[in-house]
Amino acid sequence: MSFGTKSKRVKVVEPKIQFSWKEAKRQKTLLIWSGVILIYGVIFYYLPLGGWLMAFQNYRPIDGLFHSEFVGLQKFQQLFSDATFLRVIRNTLAMGVINLVVTFIAAIVFAILLNEVRNAFGKKTVQTISYLPHFLSWIIVTGIIHDALSGTGIINDLLVNLNIIDQPINFFAHKQYFWPIVAFANVWKETGWNAIIYLAAITSIDPSLYEAAAIDGAGRWAKIKHVTIPGIRPTIMILLLMNVGNVLNAGFEIQYLLGNGLVQSVSQTIDIYVLNWGISQGDFSLGTAAGIFKSVVSIVLIVIANQIAKRNGDERLF
Amino acid sequence: MRTKKKMKTSPANKAFTVCNTIFMILFILITLYPIINTLAIAFNDGTDALRGGIYLWPRKWTLKNFITVLQKDNLITGAYITVARTLIGTVTALLSNAILAFIVSRKRFLFKKQLSLFWVITMYVNGGMIPTFVLYKGLGLTNSFWVYVIPGMISAFNMLVIRTYMNGLPDSLEESAQLDGAGYFTIFTKIISPLCKPVYATVALFVAVGQWNSWFDAMLYNRMNSNLTTLQYELMKLLSSVTNQGSSAESMKNAAGSVTPETVRAAASILTMLPIICIYPFLQRYFVTGLTLGGVKG
Amino acid sequence: MKAKRVTGMLLTSVLAVSLFTGCGGGKNNVNEDGMKEFTAFFAVPGAEINDDNDIQQIIAEKTGAKVKETWLTGQTASEAVGTLIAGGEYPDFIDGGDAMGQLYEAGALVPLDDYLDNYPNIKEYYSDEEWDKLRQDDGHIYWIQQFQNIKGEEKATTHNDEAFWIQTRVLEWAGYPEVNTMDEYFDLLESYVEANPMEDGTENIAYTILCEDWRYYCLENAPQFLDGYPNDGSVIVDPDELKIIDYNTTDTAKRYFKKLNEEYQKGYVDPESFTQTYDEYIAKLSTGRVLGMIDQWWNFAYNVNDSLKQQGLDEKGCNYVPLPITIDKGIKNQWHNSGGALNVGFGLAITTSCEDVEGALQFIDNLLGQEIHNLRFWGEEGVDYEVDDEGYFYRTEEQRTQAADAAYKASHLCTYSYFPQYKGTSDDGINANRPDEQPEEFYDSLNSTVQKCFKAYGCETYVDMLGTNEAPGSWYPMYSFSNAMTTSTPGGVAWTKMGEIKHEYLPRVVMSKNFDSAWDEYMTAYDGCDPQAFLNEMQAELDRRMEEAAKYQ
Repeated sequence: MSFGTKSKRVKVVEPKIQFSWKEAKRQKTLLIWSGVILIYGVIFYYLPLGGWLMAFQNYRPIDGLFHSEFVGLQKFQQLFSDATFLRVIRNTLAMGVINLVVTFIAAIVFAILLNEVRNAFGKKTVQTISYLPHFLSWIIVTGIIHDALSGTGIINDLLVNLNIIDQPINFFAHKQYFWPIVAFANVWKETGWNAIIYLAAITSIDPSLYEAAAIDGAGRWAKIKHVTIPGIRPTIMILLLMNVGNVLNAGFEIQYLLGNGLVQSVSQTIDIYVLNWGISQGDFSLGTAAGIFKSVVSIVLIVIANQIAKRNGDERLF
Repeated sequence: MRTKKKMKTSPANKAFTVCNTIFMILFILITLYPIINTLAIAFNDGTDALRGGIYLWPRKWTLKNFITVLQKDNLITGAYITVARTLIGTVTALLSNAILAFIVSRKRFLFKKQLSLFWVITMYVNGGMIPTFVLYKGLGLTNSFWVYVIPGMISAFNMLVIRTYMNGLPDSLEESAQLDGAGYFTIFTKIISPLCKPVYATVALFVAVGQWNSWFDAMLYNRMNSNLTTLQYELMKLLSSVTNQGSSAESMKNAAGSVTPETVRAAASILTMLPIICIYPFLQRYFVTGLTLGGVKG
Repeated sequence: MKAKRVTGMLLTSVLAVSLFTGCGGGKNNVNEDGMKEFTAFFAVPGAEINDDNDIQQIIAEKTGAKVKETWLTGQTASEAVGTLIAGGEYPDFIDGGDAMGQLYEAGALVPLDDYLDNYPNIKEYYSDEEWDKLRQDDGHIYWIQQFQNIKGEEKATTHNDEAFWIQTRVLEWAGYPEVNTMDEYFDLLESYVEANPMEDGTENIAYTILCEDWRYYCLENAPQFLDGYPNDGSVIVDPDELKIIDYNTTDTAKRYFKKLNEEYQKGYVDPESFTQTYDEYIAKLSTGRVLGMIDQWWNFAYNVNDSLKQQGLDEKGCNYVPLPITIDKGIKNQWHNSGGALNVGFGLAITTSCEDVEGALQFIDNLLGQEIHNLRFWGEEGVDYEVDDEGYFYRTEEQRTQAADAAYKASHLCTYSYFPQYKGTSDDGINANRPDEQPEEFYDSLNSTVQKCFKAYGCETYVDMLGTNEAPGSWYPMYSFSNAMTTSTPGGVAWTKMGEIKHEYLPRVVMSKNFDSAWDEYMTAYDGCDPQAFLNEMQAELDRRMEEAAKYQ
C-alpha cells in the first residue's frame, strides 16, 4: 500500500548554519534569551556539581567542602572492590532495562489503542482512570501487590484453581520472580501516565493523512502502522533516548518495599546499597562517588544512543 | 471528513473494535482495582483494617481517617501555599520551558546543539543534597516561598518534550512570518505557541502535578517556617508520625495511636488525588480531540 | 478573557504568598507576650502537636516558655543532620538520633557541664557516674539522654522488651504448665496445633518470625537470651571475665536455629515468615491465628491488642504473655532487667544557635518538676485524670479512650516526649509518673483471660511472668556503641556486612532441607565478613567502659 510521500517518515536534515556576526545579529533576540537561561542553568544545575569534590574526600559536614580530608580515589576503590557493589550494578541495570522496555511498550500500545476508541465518552473515561494509579504511593501499590501474590492471594488462587500449579507459590521467596514483579508493578502504576505524552503527540498528526489513507483503502491496522506510529515517532525516539540514560535509576522504594533477605541478592539496587553503606552512616562521600558513577554511565549511554539516532536520521537529544 | 468515517465497516475493523473494547475494559478493571481498594481502606476503621482482607468495600465503615487528615494543624496554610506554588510554578515553568524549547527548535539558531547538550546533561548529573542546600541558602532561597518556584523553572525533560513537538511544526510557518517582518517574539507568541496547545497542556499537567505533590523542598528548606508549609508536607508529617517506622519503644509510643498508617495513608491519597481529577477534564480536551493544522502541514 | 482570569488568579496567589512570607520574621526567642519560644528538631519520626495545644499553653504560662517541635520526615537522621550542619543554622534544641555524633563533631552543641549545678532538677536527673558516662572524648557533656530514667520505686508492669510470647489460650488449654525451655515451648505449640488445627474457620499458625529489615531481631538475637544473658543487642558480655562473646556462633545459636529448622520442616513455622512485611505480620497477629513468636512488646502490642479487643478475640485468649525461656533448664533468664538502660548514644542537646542557653536549660529544669511532669504525662486534673481522697490518680474509661485519640493528642496533650522524663514513682510517693505504670490503671486495662493467666502463675504483671534481674554491669548496654558504628572503621564495615549476610543466610538455614550443610555455608559466609574486627572494637569499648566505671568503686 502506498499513501504518498506524506505518511513516510521524513528524515531530519539539519541545515548547517555557520557562525557569522551577521547571523548573530539577526538572531539577537534568541541569543539574549538563551544567555539568560544559560546563566540560570549554570547556577542551579552546574554550580552544585562542586559537591562532586566530596567523592574524593572524606567529607565531614563540619569541615565543609573546602577543608575535608582529601582521599583521592579511595571511595571509588571502596565501591569497585566490593563484590556486593558489582552485584547491585547488575541488578540495577537488569531492572532498569526490563522496566524501560516494558513500560515503554505498554505506554505506546495503550496510547495508540486508546486513540482508536471511537466513543468520545469512553475514551475520556478510560484515560482519566488510566493515570490515577500514578498518584498512589509505592507503599500502597506494593502493599496491594504483596496481597495479590501472597499464599492466599488472588494469583495463587487462580493458578491453583486452574490446575496450573498444585501448591501456592511463595513468589517473594524465589529470586526468579523478583524482576518480573517489579516490572509488572511499574507497568501497572505508570502506563496511563506515560501514555499522556503520546496522546498529546497523536493530536499533532494531520487528520488529512488518515483521510488519504482511508481513500487508499487502509484498514485500522494499516492506519496505525503507516500514519499513527510514524507520526509519534519523534516523540518515541526522544523519550527513548532520555530513558536510556536513566537505566541506572531503576528505583529505590519499590525494591526496598518488595525485597526481603531471601531475594536481596537480586533486589538491591545501587541506591539501596548507597543508603546502607553510606548515607545512613553519615558517609556522604560514598553516595557522591556512586552518583558520579551513575552520571558518567548515563552520559556515555545517551551519547552512544544519540549517535545511533543521528545515523538513522531520527529525532535526537542534541 | 466526519461523514466519511462510516464508509466501510469491514469485518476486520469490527473485530478490531471488539478486541479493543475488551482490552480497554480489562485495562480499566486492572487499573481501577488499586484505586477502589484504596477507597475501601480509606473508609474502613483503622484497627479493623489491621486484619487485612479488605478488597472492594469497607468492612467497618468510618469517616475517621478523613477527619484525622483534615484536622491536621496548618492544613489550611499548607493548602494556600500549595495552590499558590502550583499556579505560579506552573505558569513560570511552562513559560520558561517553552521559550527554551522555542530557541533550540529554531533551525537557524547558532548554538542549537551546544545549548541542547547543556540541558540534556542536567538530567543526569546531580550535585547532591548538601551542596544544593548550601547553594540555596547562599542565594537566600531558604525560608522563602521562591524556593518552590525558581529552582524548578526549567527542566530538560519538559523542554525536550516541547521541543520535539515544535520540531514537528512546518518550517514554512516561521519563514512566512519572517517575510512579513515578524520578530522572534511575535513568532513565539503568535505563530508557534497557539499550535502547541496540546504539548503545553501536557507539560502544564506534569509541572502542576509535580508542584502539587511535592513536599521534600518544604521540609528541607522551610522546615522551621510553618507559614511556608505545603499541603503534602503536612500530610507527610502526619503519615510519618502514624507510620510504624519507630525503631524504639519511645517512638512507637509517640506515634499517634488509634488511627493506623494504612487507613490514614489511603485517606490522604484519595484527598490529594481529588483536585487533580477535577482539573484533568479541562486539560484533557487538548489531547483527546485532534488538532487541525489546516493546510499548512502539507 | 481567559488570560485575564489566569492573571487574576496569579495575582491573588502572589498576594497570599507575600502575606505569609511577611510574618516569617527573624530568629528571636521572645514573642510579643514576653513568652520565650524555642524551636526543637528531633531526628526520629514523631507526631507534631497543634500550635494552639492546650497543655503546651498551660506549661508555657507556668514556665514562661514553649517549644515548637519538629520531627524527622522522609529522610534518614544522617541526611537531616548533614544538611543542618552544612547550613550552619540549628534549632535551639536538638536530638540527632543516630547522627548525634556528627553534631558533636561539627561543634554544633553547647557543653552543658558548667551549667548543670545551677539547675537542681537537671543535676539530680543523673548520678555523677551516669553524667560521666555521657561525657564525650573532650571531657564535656553535650546531651542529656531522656529515657529510661527511674525515679523512686520502679513501677514496671509491662515487659516492654523481647521475649518468647504465647497466647493465653494455649497456656489455658494445657492447664498453665511451667514452660522454661525452647523445646518445651515448641512442644506445647505443636500439641496445641495438633489438637486445634482450626479455630473459627481459620487455620492456626504455631509460630511466625518477623524478618523485615531491621526488625529481623525477631529471628536473630534470641541466642543471647537463651544463654541467660541480657539484651546487649549485638554481643554477649561475659560478666565474670568481662569478655565479648559472639552469640552468632555459639552452640546455643546452632541449637536454636536447628530447632527452628526442624519446626519449619514439620510445618509449624509460618512459611511466609521470611517474606512477610511488617504490616502483614501485624495483620496476621491481629487475626488471632498466631500462637507464638519472638518479638519486643512495643513492636506489636500497641497495634495488635487494640485490634484483638475490637473483635472480641481477647476474650478468646488471643492476647500474648511472655515466657521465661532458656536453652536448657536451670539457666537464669535475663529477658527482663530492672533499672533503666542508659543509652549514651543520643539525647537532648542545646545548639550553638540558641541565644538563650540559660533560658533553655531553665525550661528543661522546669519540665522535670513534678507538677509540670504530671501535666506532661497525666494531663490536666479533672479533664484527663481524677484524684481520689487519698491523692491517688486514676482515669475513667472515657479519659482513657480520649487519651488514645490522635486528634485529642494533637490538640490537647503535650508530653514534650523527647525532653528528659521520669518513669517510676512520683514525688508524692504513691502515684506512678506515668498512667501506664499506675498499677490499677494497668490491671483494669487487662482483659480477663490475661488476668486469669497471671493468677495461675501467681503473677500480677507481665514482668512477674519472667522474673526480674538486677541491672547488668556498668557496661550495659553494648548496643549503644554498635548502633553508632560507621563504615569508617574495619569493625563497622564488618558489622554492616554481618548484618547483610545474616539477613540472607539465616532464612535459608531455617528453610533448608539439609540443616548442617546450610549452617556450614552460613558460617563460611559469616567468617568472610571478618567478625573478629567487629568483636575487637566491641571489646575495646567494653574495656573502656569498665575502666571509667572503676573510678566509682
